[in-house]
Amino acid sequence: MIRLRDVSWHHGTLPHEGQATLRNISLAIPQGGFRWLLGPSGAGKSTLLRLLHMEALPRSGDMEILGTEIGSRSKRSTLARLRQRIGMIHQDFRLMPTLSVADNIALPLRLQKRMEGEIAQEVDALLDWLGLVERKKARPVELSGGEQQRTAIARAVIMRPSLLLADEPTNALEDSQAARVIGMLRELSDLGTTVIVATHNDTLVQRFPAPALQLRQGRLFSDE
Amino acid sequence: MNKHKRVRDGLALSRALPDRSLLTMVAAMSLLIALTFTAAVGAQSLSERWARGAANLITVQVPDPDKAPVTDNHTTGGSRVEAVLGTLKTAPDIVQLHRLNEQELDALLKPWLGNTGTAALPLPAVIEVDLTAGGVLSDDLVSTLTTIAPGTLIEKNDDWRSQLHTVARSLLFCAGLAIALVGTIGAAVIGMATRLGLGSRRESVTILHELGASDGYVARRFASRVAVLSFLGGLAGTLVSLPPIAILSHLMAPFSGAVSSTTQNGENWFPILKDSLLAFWHGAAPQSLLIGLGCIPFVVTLIGWVTAQVIVRVWLRRLP
Repeated sequence: MIRLRDVSWHHGTLPHEGQATLRNISLAIPQGGFRWLLGPSGAGKSTLLRLLHMEALPRSGDMEILGTEIGSRSKRSTLARLRQRIGMIHQDFRLMPTLSVADNIALPLRLQKRMEGEIAQEVDALLDWLGLVERKKARPVELSGGEQQRTAIARAVIMRPSLLLADEPTNALEDSQAARVIGMLRELSDLGTTVIVATHNDTLVQRFPAPALQLRQGRLFSDE
Repeated sequence: MNKHKRVRDGLALSRALPDRSLLTMVAAMSLLIALTFTAAVGAQSLSERWARGAANLITVQVPDPDKAPVTDNHTTGGSRVEAVLGTLKTAPDIVQLHRLNEQELDALLKPWLGNTGTAALPLPAVIEVDLTAGGVLSDDLVSTLTTIAPGTLIEKNDDWRSQLHTVARSLLFCAGLAIALVGTIGAAVIGMATRLGLGSRRESVTILHELGASDGYVARRFASRVAVLSFLGGLAGTLVSLPPIAILSHLMAPFSGAVSSTTQNGENWFPILKDSLLAFWHGAAPQSLLIGLGCIPFVVTLIGWVTAQVIVRVWLRRLP
């Protein structure tokens, strides 16, 4: 369950006009829900996703992520454990430059100290599904934008997260590949993962109808 | 599965931390610590021995030794010095009495009188009295001695012992201060190296943090690497310090009461080094010195580990 009530966030200690801020956001998404996050550039989509990923903490309001109340007084170890249950696909992919594709994908499982045999199976399955088998030993710098994006997607979903946050996860993919990825995210949602996807791609939104969160100038205009 | 098994997490710390410079700096600091510690132990050992010797040794000077004793209650001899010696022999707490002969007096006074000899001078008889540990000459005995031989001077060494203790304490304090200072500088250097490593791996650390790696995990990764480098540096510095320490121990052996080796040729250092290392190897050095030197790599490792932990954890605080 994701629940926000009157959550606000801004850079620095005081809000300034023109900064990307979130104002009085309230929303509730049940476990297993799928939501599109829509809005023009600068509306605060990425900021909201960062907040839900706890890369930033609310300045005011209440936030509950996966049943845990989050605030500035939350224990760091609690936040770390919670992040292990959240998959995040960043716009800029954020892959480990020193690791191969396979090791990048395996990283969340390795941090959770899973058995290597189990990790190898999961990684191989995802490499196959995302068409990255031939590139499994390549470093991120050797990959195209689309390949990096697919690697980032694989890394985010490999641990079967309870919450998956995706910031423009298909902007570097071809249409067919993008549709496959969104299809997979919908399947994850059906299996119980809460999924929030920020996108500008109207075609995908129309092809995969789901409730949408509309952000404009830091305010949430519609929820379902 | 081992809880602390290192995972392939992309930090690549062997390339992120300035390995060679960190190792060299830690080795240099360990060398300094080893030499300072040796100096402190040496000073402590010498002062203890000298103070102990000074406490147990009393010098009695008898003027006009060949004159007859003032009272005739004592029939032990016909001269004052013989009367004094006879009285001392009956006293408790005395292990040994030794009256310096002419050659010994000449040798004693040579720095002041040169080779002219002492025959023409009216010198007192000098008696060395070796007491048992904690033994004293009673006031009654001292009174008797000054009565038999007026002007007899009994030189106790308490003042010297007190001064030696003060000097030793001061040296130990200075050595402790120097070691603490070197340790602090070492921690600062390790801290800077860790900050450099964090700076060069900022992106990777942030990604790991976002993937749910705890502060403890990231701090442990850095601290483990720094600890390994610190241990190697500490070991290298301590090993490098051994030859000069062995030579110092060898040269100080006669002063500290240890058995000196046969090599005394100061112009040829190789045999001295060889003998010193052999003596060191066979346990000629004080046990406290050996234990202290053995601890240096581990202490340096601990300093490195704790410093890296603190630096990394503080740095991670900027991430939510």
